[in-house]
Amino acid sequence: MTRNAKTPGFVGIDRRSLLKVAAAAGVVQVASPFVRTARAADTVKIGLDNPLTGTYAALGKNELIGAQLAVEEINAKGGILGRQVELLVEDSTSGDAGAAVQKATKLIERDQVNFLVGNINSALAQAMAQVAAQHGVLHVIPGGHTDAITGENCHWNVFRVCNTTAMETSAVAGSLIKAYGKKFYYLTPDYAFGHTLQSTMEKSAAALGGSKLGADLTPLGTTDYSGYLIKAQAANPDVIIFFQAGNDAVNALKQAVQFGLHKKFHLAGAQQELEVLLGLPPEARVGTWVFEWYWNQPGVAGVAEFVDKIRRKSGGHVPTARTWFGYASAWTCALAAEGAKSLDPVKMAKVLQGFALPPEIALMPNGAAFRAGQNQLIPDLFVGNAAEKGEKDPEDLFRVTEVVKGANVAGTLEETGCKMTWPT
Amino acid sequence: MLNNGSLTRYAPSVIGWIVLVSLPEWINVVAYTDLGSRVVILGLAAMALNFLLGHTGVLSFGHAAYFGLGAYGAGLTLRYLAPSTGLAILVGTGVGMMAAMLIGPLIIRLRGVYFAMVTIAFGQIFYFIAFRWSTLTGGDDGLTNWSRQPINLGFATIDLKSPVAFYYLVLFVFAVATAIMAKLLNSPFGRSLLAIRENERRALFLGIPVNLRIWLSWTVSCGFASVAGAMYALLNNFVDPRTLHWSQSGAFVIMAVLGGMRSFWGPLIGAAIYVVLQDYLSSRTSNWMSLVGLVFVLVVLFFPRGVLGMLGRRTQA
Repeated sequence: MTRNAKTPGFVGIDRRSLLKVAAAAGVVQVASPFVRTARAADTVKIGLDNPLTGTYAALGKNELIGAQLAVEEINAKGGILGRQVELLVEDSTSGDAGAAVQKATKLIERDQVNFLVGNINSALAQAMAQVAAQHGVLHVIPGGHTDAITGENCHWNVFRVCNTTAMETSAVAGSLIKAYGKKFYYLTPDYAFGHTLQSTMEKSAAALGGSKLGADLTPLGTTDYSGYLIKAQAANPDVIIFFQAGNDAVNALKQAVQFGLHKKFHLAGAQQELEVLLGLPPEARVGTWVFEWYWNQPGVAGVAEFVDKIRRKSGGHVPTARTWFGYASAWTCALAAEGAKSLDPVKMAKVLQGFALPPEIALMPNGAAFRAGQNQLIPDLFVGNAAEKGEKDPEDLFRVTEVVKGANVAGTLEETGCKMTWPT
Repeated sequence: MLNNGSLTRYAPSVIGWIVLVSLPEWINVVAYTDLGSRVVILGLAAMALNFLLGHTGVLSFGHAAYFGLGAYGAGLTLRYLAPSTGLAILVGTGVGMMAAMLIGPLIIRLRGVYFAMVTIAFGQIFYFIAFRWSTLTGGDDGLTNWSRQPINLGFATIDLKSPVAFYYLVLFVFAVATAIMAKLLNSPFGRSLLAIRENERRALFLGIPVNLRIWLSWTVSCGFASVAGAMYALLNNFVDPRTLHWSQSGAFVIMAVLGGMRSFWGPLIGAAIYVVLQDYLSSRTSNWMSLVGLVFVLVVLFFPRGVLGMLGRRTQA
């Protein structure tokens, strides 16, 4: 930290002008607010507290685009209860629960939002749900999957659009056993999320007569999977299941393909995202996965129009499951208010019990409805295979083989562990 | 507190306390009360770190571990032991301080970057314990299903549901903690810490038991970090492993350096700048982290003694 203020820079620019340029570049960032939309006086406010930076930034931005489209449509149809809708957006970061809670508090206390939407990260979603429950604000979680949110930690005011991990593993397990065989080998990242995935998958497979030949817990951040892959190969299963996410998934799948395992066995996993497949090298786009929504659904009314609208907003990119989560979440808020003819959170939450999303918003063959007593959306799940490259569209990287009805994989209400208490 | 002017000596402190005490009255114009609580809590953590960094001259990069232990101590108490906020704060502080006392002897003989590295390593141990022990801590999903409870004083019950009531609890804890810290720093013990910071070898020759003093300073510093951690858990009604992560330690160091490591109140100013900047900028642009980084770089380049250090120098000149 020594100071030698008069030393000129080595390319002839002195430090002062360099800093001026840097500061100017910084000011431009603040001076061009692209996150917050204009604020009007008597509006209904939806507060979106979701990651825009960090690991989940790409997912968060897609949810944002979906929510923005929904708000535009709601306003075009006359808003909520005759008032225009305003979307307030805050960056929750991808992992800092303190920041997410701070932003949720800011939206509720200062901006007085009528609805809170978020978060992709399960931990942050639960922390926000706590804030929302305390303030009695209607909270819609677009994309945090941990079962507890609509299970043992469920709240009357907290609704979830994306599936639980248990629903995803049950959906894929049934398809795998039907198509590829009953003997599974598991490669599971060694932390809570991975453990949950494996135990729910084992349970769903066992119910259908599947068996576990072996399982390895791989530490988070593992780069070399060769040892695990050799063991898996030696066990000679029908299917090797990968629960890795992010970079771990990239490494594990790339190495499995290098070993030629995709030719000998079937490779599969649970939840997969289009954002992840797009980021994978083409040769690693293999295996059977479950998507929570897919844009290429020929014959389903409204989907093509939705894809066109999103393409216009996103610079030509197709909507992903995340885009749909954001879209469905914002529409859920509007529909709850219209159904209750009021912005009273309890009345709106009552309306959403068993509420089916209209087909132009559900955008899937069998529709989607919030299960009463749990506040969990029960949609269709799309099981299929990753494709190396798209046929007609470079972003068509998934071939849906089976659409699984959510009701068949969601288990009973008792099994979720949700015991809801309503304010009196 | 460590100012050497005579008339102006208490003025900044008095103004500072007036600002803090009146905060709920004016903050709603620009922000919201919980933001004030957050500034004060993280300020306390940064001041605790600065007890070691600025006043003893030892850089720890693992203070989040004790901050997080305080948070988990408080959260687990409310979740499993008893619905008592007071007990939660005490347990949180106790757990963090105890861990620091035990780990201290293993690291106090190291200096400089080695000390910093080992503090990170011990910090990450706690991070991974919290991350992996999901049956107790909830793992990556965080510890949920608890919230701060009303404090029963016997003659009255304080309901902490309202942000303003909680802010005053935070401010009360902050006042007690900083009073103890100031008292310690002004004592012969505190002076010996400054001596170690200025010239360790000379301090040793003068007969100061350097390693013992560093251990004490480390324990005190981590103890106050755990107090802050316990309050942080109560603020969020939630704890997750991220509070134990080394990147959180990094944030404390940044706050201390921003505000001024050589001054007593500097880290509080640093925390205020950091938290308010983050809150304001991240609502406007998703590139807010580069701007916070830019401010940090500018402060280090132009005011290496931090914001308060610079102000102090101006008034003396």
